[in-house]
Amino acid sequence: MITHLWDRLADAKSRLDPVQSKYRVLFENPAEPKEPASVLVPDPNFMAAALAGDVLPPIDTYIRDQSVPDGQPKEHPYAEPVGAMTEEEAIEYLVMKDISPSIWRDYKGNRSIMKIVPVELIPTNRSFRNAWEIAQ
Amino acid sequence: MGTLNVLNITNGTDTVATGYAINGSAKAWVNLTQVSTQTIGDSLNVSSLTDLGTGQTRISFSSNMSNDDFAGSFYTMASAGENSSNFGNHYAGGFGDKAVASVQAYSHNGSAGVDSGVLDIIIMGELS
Repeated sequence: MITHLWDRLADAKSRLDPVQSKYRVLFENPAEPKEPASVLVPDPNFMAAALAGDVLPPIDTYIRDQSVPDGQPKEHPYAEPVGAMTEEEAIEYLVMKDISPSIWRDYKGNRSIMKIVPVELIPTNRSFRNAWEIAQ
Repeated sequence: MGTLNVLNITNGTDTVATGYAINGSAKAWVNLTQVSTQTIGDSLNVSSLTDLGTGQTRISFSSNMSNDDFAGSFYTMASAGENSSNFGNHYAGGFGDKAVASVQAYSHNGSAGVDSGVLDIIIMGELS
């Protein structure tokens, strides 16, 4: 019997050491060109679960669940868990899960609106944070 | 991983229905900093944070909530420091754009967003 995803996450947290990813995902929303670039930061417990395997559901269940109305049962909590991922595969999984498909799948423009970069390339000085944009 | 199916939990004196424990426990929590490169310290049921700008962070859940009417608790230093001498939490801040898969948190100094050295979030409600 497959247990609920939340129970698997709680179990994984109790037995896995957290993993701080060496990657960040920079992205811009083409629907809001005046907004600064966003930076996705992977959660260390999520990364540990992804690298260990047998915790997280297939990514396509999350994508299908985006069209399920609120309050209706979702597919991802009880989906068969996937196996271990590499760190790079886990980042791709997060892009598809936590960033709008309008950015990673549907955008057809010429401007580069998403980049996966080492954390060292993210500025630590936030004086002009609300003016950040992706260098072309 | 085994499963206990019980209606009540007791310590021999007091008895409560398991629903109290299930419905009354946090479904997600996170400790993070918005200073420098925003970073998660520790968490449960969180897949990522997204740094949206000064004082603005979106928290994405690994296991979705059932609806966007969940409740939450929010603590912000509302200053870049992390110690009691840095308290700026008389300032404003809170949640915005709640959704089944994420919630946005804003640290605010009353007139503009401010990066907070410590931001703690607890989410209560029903899981999907």
